[in-house]
Amino acid sequence: MSFLTHVNLFCFFASFAVAFGLEWTRLVKLNTLNRAIILVFGCAGFVAQTAYLLNRSGQTNLPPLLSSNHDWLLVLAWLCILIYLFVSCIDRNLPIGLFILPVVLVLIASAWFVSAAPNPRVAFDPSEVKNVVRNWAMLHATLLVFGNGGMLVAFVLSMMYLVQHRRLKHKQPGHEGLAFPNLERLARWNRWSVIISVPLLTLGMATGVGLALYTRDNGPTLNLSDPVILVDGVVWLLMVGLFAWLVKTERPPARQIAWLTLWSCAFVIVTMIGLQVLAGGVHPAFESWRS
Amino acid sequence: MNVQVVYCNHQSAKLDVRERLAFSSPDQLARAYQELRSTFPQSELVVVSTCNRVEVYTAQESPQDAPTHRQIAEFFSQFHHVPVDDFVDDLLQAHGPEAVRHLFRVASSLDSMVLGEPQIVSQVKDAYRLAQENEACGWLTNTLFQGAIRVSARVRSETKLAEGRVSIASVAVGDFARSIFDRFDDKRVLIIGAGEMAEETIRYLKEEGVSEIVVSNRSVERAQRLALEWGGVVKPFDQLDQWLAEADVIVSTTGADRPIVDVARFAKVRRASGTKPVFILDLGAPRDFDPAINTAFDNVFLYDIDDLEATCEQNRKARVKEIDRANLIIEEETNRFLHDVYHRATGPVIKRLREEWHDIRQQEVSRLFAKLSNLTDKDRQEIEKSIERIINKLLHPPLEALRDEAQQGTPHGLIDAMRRLFGLGEKSN
Repeated sequence: MSFLTHVNLFCFFASFAVAFGLEWTRLVKLNTLNRAIILVFGCAGFVAQTAYLLNRSGQTNLPPLLSSNHDWLLVLAWLCILIYLFVSCIDRNLPIGLFILPVVLVLIASAWFVSAAPNPRVAFDPSEVKNVVRNWAMLHATLLVFGNGGMLVAFVLSMMYLVQHRRLKHKQPGHEGLAFPNLERLARWNRWSVIISVPLLTLGMATGVGLALYTRDNGPTLNLSDPVILVDGVVWLLMVGLFAWLVKTERPPARQIAWLTLWSCAFVIVTMIGLQVLAGGVHPAFESWRS
Repeated sequence: MNVQVVYCNHQSAKLDVRERLAFSSPDQLARAYQELRSTFPQSELVVVSTCNRVEVYTAQESPQDAPTHRQIAEFFSQFHHVPVDDFVDDLLQAHGPEAVRHLFRVASSLDSMVLGEPQIVSQVKDAYRLAQENEACGWLTNTLFQGAIRVSARVRSETKLAEGRVSIASVAVGDFARSIFDRFDDKRVLIIGAGEMAEETIRYLKEEGVSEIVVSNRSVERAQRLALEWGGVVKPFDQLDQWLAEADVIVSTTGADRPIVDVARFAKVRRASGTKPVFILDLGAPRDFDPAINTAFDNVFLYDIDDLEATCEQNRKARVKEIDRANLIIEEETNRFLHDVYHRATGPVIKRLREEWHDIRQQEVSRLFAKLSNLTDKDRQEIEKSIERIINKLLHPPLEALRDEAQQGTPHGLIDAMRRLFGLGEKSN
């Protein structure tokens, strides 16, 4: 298995890209053969990505969630692939790959541009605070990755809802390879995805702020006027607004929820990835503004 | 093989003829079997009687015992007290491979009014079960009907003949309502009008778990009859707006000559109902709901007959495309069935002939070896092999002839000739 130590980003990106391309063949004909080939590519990519993350973790001596922004994005993509493979195995007709694989590809492509250098706050090592910082950082990164994962699921569910809604409004018969769940179920799942994700994001933000305050005296300082933090705060406020509306409204129109979720999640994805890329040092001007 | 079927179906006979020839209850069918068995004691019998066909399958050992078309027609006439001339021209007949093929087509729903409909195989199974209960079956009919059930399963699993819904009501509920709602047991169904298609739709909705049905119709008697039959409640027609707002599924089949619900009226309904999803099935012709309602309200899904007919037609076409594949399976299974049956008919004769000749060979070889005591073991083996080859070569032409004849049907004449020519004794088997 030594070849797994040589896995790079391109290996699993290519696997998922092929799986995504093959997912389109379900529109022509969905049979056991093309389904098996799609799953083989999906699983191959998943194994390669797991190996890559483990290799990276070994190199930095940090868990993948903590080692760098690059790895954090890849963990998020890894979670999405896990969901994709699980759902594909239990429901052969649900075209989840057509919606979730592009998100995965964007996450992996973004990780390419994001800094792979170890996080200085976690790598900082005055021994008495090291464990405390690491534990808080782990909690912060985990909550954020699950919160963002939930938002990505809500994003995919919203797209499915809108496609299904459009089909029904246009009175088109169902397609064999595109069997979506019914609107009622999609709306319920979507609502719950948002309701679960937003508290996770909130807790993630809170632990992040706590971590910043704690490390202020013990390590590299964290600037609360950092644009990354500011935009993250705006995104969080937006999601909290959506959450409050969902909880407060007795019977919110499902299509409106779907559109709102879609736009909110799209905004989250774009800002999250955009900021990570910008903060990764691609644009020196942005870096100088940060500092 | 002597299998035949005398039948009438939706293609050969009108409904009033089929109704008069049908066997409506198991008791009536039991009496029919009793009469058939006494009239045709040498025959195995299975009667298939559904709303679209009445078929009598017979099978017997000897061709001269087979009932004729006329005899079966007279049985129908006497049993149902219908003059023969009223239906004899509607009765068709098929023999041997044609009869087998016909049953396989029937069981696979290739001969049904609605191509690929699933009920027919259950009806064939029931018919076979009743024949068994009435002790009318034998080896041939057992093999034939078990084969038909197997063929039907093959056609269903290897083709898409039974895929896709083909009736308006089933498409409405199965393809569209189920794509909107997750469950139906918490949904309220409003039926406006009391037409036949409303009933069919209620049946499908009931299968999905609907429990609350409200019927509103100008004629209260018809509404009450429908409500009674399906466990619903009747509400006055002048309260229609209130129930339009309360309903999740609306099925409308009034005979109104113009839409009874337009956009303005439905807007008032939506103000009362909120934004919940509503599925409207407009089965009226002309339509009962203004088609603009579908675009005017976000969570309202309005379907009329034309919308659904397009899906039905698409599914029908998809089924028609599968006919050739289904026919190939039926042809293959018919040949296999015939081969098995003929093999069973000729098998005992072939076995007997081989045994007889090998006994003779054994006797002659033993006698020869007794006389030629100076032969080595190798010589003995060579002699045995030579004689064996001679016997096989001599047996080859008659056995080949028997096999060739068996491809066309049970070769009764040739089997009898071989028995006499080679002294195989009385009928075996």
